[in-house]
Amino acid sequence: MQDTVFNALADLALSTTGQSIAPSKAYLMEARLAGIARREGFGTLDDLVHCLESRQNPVFRAEVAAALLSRDTWFFRDRGSLEFLMRTKLANALAASPSGRVRIWCAGGSTGQEAYSLAMLLEDDPLPGAKIEILSTDICKQATEKGRLGTYGHYEVQRGLPIQRLLQHFTRLDSGDWQASEALRSRVSFRTHNLIEPAGGLGKFEIILCRNVLSGMARPARVRLAESLANQLSAGGTILLAEGEALYGLTDRLEPSSDLRFGWVAAGTANARAITAA
Amino acid sequence: MKTCLIVDDSRVVRKVASRIVRDLGFAVTEASEGSEALDMCRRAMPDAVILDWNMPVMNGLDFVKALRREEGGKVPRVVFCSIENDAEHIQEAIRSGADEFIMKPFDADILESKFAEVGLI
Repeated sequence: MQDTVFNALADLALSTTGQSIAPSKAYLMEARLAGIARREGFGTLDDLVHCLESRQNPVFRAEVAAALLSRDTWFFRDRGSLEFLMRTKLANALAASPSGRVRIWCAGGSTGQEAYSLAMLLEDDPLPGAKIEILSTDICKQATEKGRLGTYGHYEVQRGLPIQRLLQHFTRLDSGDWQASEALRSRVSFRTHNLIEPAGGLGKFEIILCRNVLSGMARPARVRLAESLANQLSAGGTILLAEGEALYGLTDRLEPSSDLRFGWVAAGTANARAITAA
Repeated sequence: MKTCLIVDDSRVVRKVASRIVRDLGFAVTEASEGSEALDMCRRAMPDAVILDWNMPVMNGLDFVKALRREEGGKVPRVVFCSIENDAEHIQEAIRSGADEFIMKPFDADILESKFAEVGLI
């Protein structure tokens, strides 16, 4: 790939999504844009970049920028954290909610495997009277549409999803794909959202999962996202990041959870809660 | 070192699976059908078995049923690996004693995920 092409695409990703793409990942750009290039009839990425610059079509630019990001995800990724989150943090949130309503946000949830993993945990261990909403957002419209359909291919359903859960919660379609049950799909909603844009319209959440997003972002975008997560977190709520991710130095409104690895809570509450629990 | 017996009548599948499983830290043995695999298990029970469905002499379903009746035969984690991947076939494999099921074709991520699922890694 020519340097000019790489730089144009990397600049697009950075300005649109806050994601920083290293030159060593240039090969990924080619793979991720192959579908769009084929659909639009571009022979090379050079042609695609030329079109981006000459057409100035914001919808096409947004689609290309979203396609440049990793969509890699799988069911029950870091299962221990998910189970702990649902067993303890969800129980705490429900105890603090007179209406029994608790909202969970999978921020940057890609094609929905994380959200459906939470839905499966809820289906397998129902909480009577609880009204739990799971919202999965992603910058990529195609990803959220796929999540909404709840239809996954042969490889996707075999990454992280135990066979018993596949049989219990999915139906095999004639195409060979597997579709999440109506019960699962009714538990999860999907929206397109760019994490570096304000998220006020999404409302407040007792639990936020934002995993494997921060690590790819440039610092200004990480700061913006950290503030956005703090804004959308309900009092007493918990944010779960991925292994190796942290919010140190990005916001003073959040601090590490005292009892959940990669968990973050409102500043000044982690120790208070630990003392209360003791 | 943990051991894995790969039972498949396709030499190519055995070769691909062997490479992945060795990379996961297992010592690998191979059999091309169920009765040969059962003899090998009687001599030394493996920690894991990757098992095809359709094979000559003894198929995968009969093998896993026979294995589970052997002394120590409940120990190996048996992961079926088959092209027979509709829900009915999968349920039959699980009912017969398999712990997990891989739908062919597979890759290293899938095999690793399934081994983790049954506590092998």
